[in-house]
Amino acid sequence: MSFSMFFFTGLVVVLLLLLAWALRGPARPRGPEAVPNALQETGKRHVSFLPAIQQALGKTDFEFLAQRGPKELVRRVRRERRHVALTYLSALRTEFESLLRMASIIAKLSPKLAAMQEFERFRLTMEFAWRYSMIRLLLWAGLAPIPQLEDLSELLSALSVRMETAVREMGERAALAAKLASSLNGSDMDAAL
Amino acid sequence: MQQLAHIQQVLWAVNVGIGIILLTLLIARENYRVYPVFTGYNLVNLAQAVSFYIASRRWGYTSRNMWLFGWSSQGVVTVARALAVTELCRHMLARYRGVWALVWRVLCASALLVMVYSSFAARRKWELALPAVDRSLELSIAVVIVMLLLFARYYDVLAMASDRSLALGFCLYSCFSVVNNTFLDRFLYRYAGLWNLLGILSFLASLLVWTWALRNPLKEALPEEPLVASGVYESVTPEINARLRALNEKLSRFWKPREPRR
Repeated sequence: MSFSMFFFTGLVVVLLLLLAWALRGPARPRGPEAVPNALQETGKRHVSFLPAIQQALGKTDFEFLAQRGPKELVRRVRRERRHVALTYLSALRTEFESLLRMASIIAKLSPKLAAMQEFERFRLTMEFAWRYSMIRLLLWAGLAPIPQLEDLSELLSALSVRMETAVREMGERAALAAKLASSLNGSDMDAAL
Repeated sequence: MQQLAHIQQVLWAVNVGIGIILLTLLIARENYRVYPVFTGYNLVNLAQAVSFYIASRRWGYTSRNMWLFGWSSQGVVTVARALAVTELCRHMLARYRGVWALVWRVLCASALLVMVYSSFAARRKWELALPAVDRSLELSIAVVIVMLLLFARYYDVLAMASDRSLALGFCLYSCFSVVNNTFLDRFLYRYAGLWNLLGILSFLASLLVWTWALRNPLKEALPEEPLVASGVYESVTPEINARLRALNEKLSRFWKPREPRR
């Protein structure tokens, strides 16, 4: 098989795989009215579960248990800590997706987009997807060392507070934009009537 | 070999028949209002099939005149297909003015890049020049369609079912043409008979997808979405990107072992 045959056939296989993936389409198309809902979803989870997750990932509890408890219990706790970390990762992803959804709604409603901003978001999305799947894989395989897991609790508290504030601010603005879009739509219809 | 030619003739007739049904559906269901260029493309396709038949009767199937006629008419059909794909792109994304302004530039640049690269990747033989050009165009069409659907997914755009079916039909045929032309490039005349047959079969598949998609009357294109002031995008998007970056940075800390505390 020559290089060109290999190259073009390979390219077509990749294109067909991408086509199949892309044709599945967005699970739930969202309009402007979805912005406030998406924002309400964002950030709430961390507030509700922060103390429990921090407790679960705390170093002192685990050290105490490792010294005093039976090995089976230590293993079980380690498993559960891993489960908590995985659940938290999922929550992070949900948060990331909410922000992306909001960004895409605003982009759709805007008369002009900045290519650099769009490219930056695309790059960040790819980066996040890669890191997320690698960390998840390491956690599943039990290869993520405990000190790394402990960073999670710090990560949580700092992030939640900042995200909440930021998202609230953005939410107010985006909701305003959505409302404006709806009113514009209404006035168009009035004009048509 | 004769059997292959016979199957080819039968399939050619089936293709023409389904092409006529598709065109009838486009006109009878008034779907030509929604896809005028696509209707034109189908008309060009049918005209090519009929003229090809007449020309082959006059010059013979393997004559040089027939070869030239075949490839030049194929050029017209490919251009018509490219225009129909452009219409499809507009149909899917043009109502989002900002997104469309960005996407069409990216799509054009990608198509041009693919065309240039695949032309250079072709073997330097004069008899393969036209199949190489055809392959470049088909590959560009396939890339444009896949990118269009990826953009639609990325921006959470709801595409009409007919748009998706049209895209599927175009992409399948273009992908198949690329592979088919690549094999022709390698095996030349030994492969020519099979090349024709497989080309007809893949086009038949696309015709069936399109006919199914256009069997019912469609709604006219959706109106353009109402827009927000450009200031909203300019102020909110950088902030969202900053949040996304922060999330990424936090996630990257999983990789790095923490510095020992003093």
